[in-house]
Amino acid sequence: MKFILQLAIKNLTRYKRRTAITAIAIAMGLMMYILVDSILVGAELESMRNLRWYETASLRIHHELYWEDRNFLPLETAIDNPQEVLALVKNAGLAATARTSFLSDMILYSEDFGEDGNLSVMVTAIDAKTDFDVYGFENTLIAGRFLEPGEMDGLVLGSWFAEDIGAEVGFWVTLLTRGKGGFYEAFDMEIVGIVNCSNPNVNRSLVMMDIQAADLYLGMEGSVTSIDILLAEKADVEKAQKALQASLDEQNLPFSVHTWKDLARDYIALVEAKQGGTGMILFLVFIIAAVGVSNTMLMAMYERMRELGMMRALGMKDRDILFAFLLEAGGIGFIGAIAGILLGSLVNIYIVNVGFDFGFMFRDMDIGFRIASVMRGAWRASTMLIAFFAGIGLSMLVAYVPVRRALKLDIPTCLHHQ
Amino acid sequence: MIKIEKVSRNYKTGETVVRALKSVSMNIEPGEFLSIAGPSGSGKTTLLNLIGCIDSIDAGEIYIQDKAISTMNKEEKTKFRRNNLGFIFQTYNLIPVLSAYENVSFVLSLLDVQPDEIRKRTYEVLKEVGLEGMEDRRPHKLSGGQQQRIAIARALVKNPQIILADEPTANLDSKTGEEILKLMKRMNEKYKTTFIFSTHDQMVMDYASRLIQLHDGAIVSDERRR
Repeated sequence: MKFILQLAIKNLTRYKRRTAITAIAIAMGLMMYILVDSILVGAELESMRNLRWYETASLRIHHELYWEDRNFLPLETAIDNPQEVLALVKNAGLAATARTSFLSDMILYSEDFGEDGNLSVMVTAIDAKTDFDVYGFENTLIAGRFLEPGEMDGLVLGSWFAEDIGAEVGFWVTLLTRGKGGFYEAFDMEIVGIVNCSNPNVNRSLVMMDIQAADLYLGMEGSVTSIDILLAEKADVEKAQKALQASLDEQNLPFSVHTWKDLARDYIALVEAKQGGTGMILFLVFIIAAVGVSNTMLMAMYERMRELGMMRALGMKDRDILFAFLLEAGGIGFIGAIAGILLGSLVNIYIVNVGFDFGFMFRDMDIGFRIASVMRGAWRASTMLIAFFAGIGLSMLVAYVPVRRALKLDIPTCLHHQ
Repeated sequence: MIKIEKVSRNYKTGETVVRALKSVSMNIEPGEFLSIAGPSGSGKTTLLNLIGCIDSIDAGEIYIQDKAISTMNKEEKTKFRRNNLGFIFQTYNLIPVLSAYENVSFVLSLLDVQPDEIRKRTYEVLKEVGLEGMEDRRPHKLSGGQQQRIAIARALVKNPQIILADEPTANLDSKTGEEILKLMKRMNEKYKTTFIFSTHDQMVMDYASRLIQLHDGAIVSDERRR
C-alpha cells in the first residue's frame, strides 16, 4: 500500500507536464461548471426574488372560489371583508396589503400618442399606503411620481410597456372595463409615473392605479381580489401558508392562502424544464473535460505499458496495479479540482458582485427568467463539493478504462510495447 | 527442477499461424547457468516467457518444482512469479520515477517483508552488484550497465530459485556486457540461483555452463560447456 501510494505521488510529480496539462483540462471544465451553475442558480434565485418582490409577494389570500377562475381575474369572488383579514395577518406579525386586479381595455388617443388605438391590459389596483410594505416598487420610479393614496385618476406604467406604446408622464388614457356585477365602466386616467424594476414581466406589462379609485369605478364596495403578504427572505413559505390557512379556517373565513410557488406555477414549470437543459449543458462541460483527460491518460498509459508489464511479470497483482494508476489519476483529479474550484471561485466573485448585463437582449426576448438586465451568479457549497468529487471521480474513471484494457493484454505484449 | 515436456506455442498473425515452439523438451537442474541461443524468431524469448509463467502453453507441459504451470490460474501464476522468479529484461524496465533503492525494494514490499528487513536486504544486494553509494539515484542518472545492475539486484533481492534474463546484454557495449555477465555468474555461483537467459551474443554463450540452441522453434543442440 505504501509503495502504491509512493509510486502514485512520484509519478504525479515526475510527469509534471502531463500532470499539469491534465489538471488544467480538469480545472477548466470544473471552472466552467462552477460558472455556468453559478449563473443559472443566481438567475433562478434572483428570478424568484423578483417574482416575490414585484409580482406575487410571498403569500396571497384569495376567496376560495377565486382560485379556479383566477386567469379571468373575476371580481365577483372577491374578499368582502379585507380589513378583517388584514388585521388577522398583521396580528401574526406579517406585512400585508390589499390589491384588486382586473382586465381592461386601454384606449390611447392621437392627441398624446400620435394615433388612436387600444389594447388589452391587466390593471393592478394598489393601496398606496401599504403596498411598499409588501412590494419593492419604492425605488423603481424613473419618471413622474408614484400614486398618492386615494388618487382617482393616476396611473403608473411599467417602463417597457410605456416605451412600447409611446407613453409619457402626463398622457391620458381611458380604461374600459366591466365592474363587479358585469356593468361596463370607462374612466380617464393620467399617467403620473413610470417604473422600471428588475422584473422584465412587470416592466413589460405593469398598469397600476389606486385601490380606492378601483373600488369606486368597479363597484367593489370595499372588497378586494387579494391580500398580498410578505414573508422574511428565508422564511418557510409552506409552513407560513399552513399556519395562516389554519387561522382563516378557525375564523370560518372562506378564503384560501397560496404561496408564490402556486402563483408562479408557470415559471416553476419553466425552471424545472430548464433544469433538464441545464443538466445537459453541465453534462457537456463534463464530457469535454473527460475527453481531454481521457486522451492524456490514454497516452500516459501507452507510454508506460512496459512498466506495467514489468510490474505484472514481477508478481504485482492486477488490482494493485489498477489501484496505483487510479490513485495517480485521482491525484491529478485532485489537483485539477482544487485549481478549478479556486479559478471558478475567483471568477465567480466578479459574477456574483458585478454580473453580466444582458439588458440589450432581455428587453426584446423573454427567456423566462424574471431578470431585466444584470444576471448575477450565486455561491453554492454543493456545487463546489460536486466539482471537487467530480474532478477526482472523472479523472479516475477515464483512467480506469485504458488501465483495464492494458491489464487484459498478455504480459509479453505489454513488455514489448513500443 | 524445471521439466519441459513437448511444449508447443503458436501465435496467430492475421490469418497466418506462426509456430514459435515445436514440441520442445528439456530438463533444467538447480543452479544451472543456462543460455538459450538462436537467431531472431527461433523461439528463445517464447520459451523464456513460458518458463516465466507470463505466456500460456498450447500443448505439452512445464513443471517447475513438480508443479505443472498450465494448471495454475492467473492469480496462482502471479503469486508463483512473485515468490519464485526473478526477471531481467533487455531494456531493464526500471520504474523511472523511483530511485535505485526503491526500484529494488519494491519487490520485497510485494512480498510483505518487514521494513527493516527490506532496508537491510536492499542495501546488501545493491552493494553486491556494485551500486553502493548510488542508492538514491534515479535510473536516468545512471549508465546502461548500472541500470542493468539495478535490474539484477531487483531480480536477486528476493532470493528466487530461478532468474530469467531476456537478452540481458543486448543493449550494452561489450565491456559492460561482460561485466554484467561476470556479475550474474558470480551470483549464480554464490547463491546457486538458476539463471536462464536468452541471447544471440557469442560472449554470453561462452559464459554459459549449458547452451541450448534453438532454430525455428525446435532444439538443435544442447551442450554442457564446463
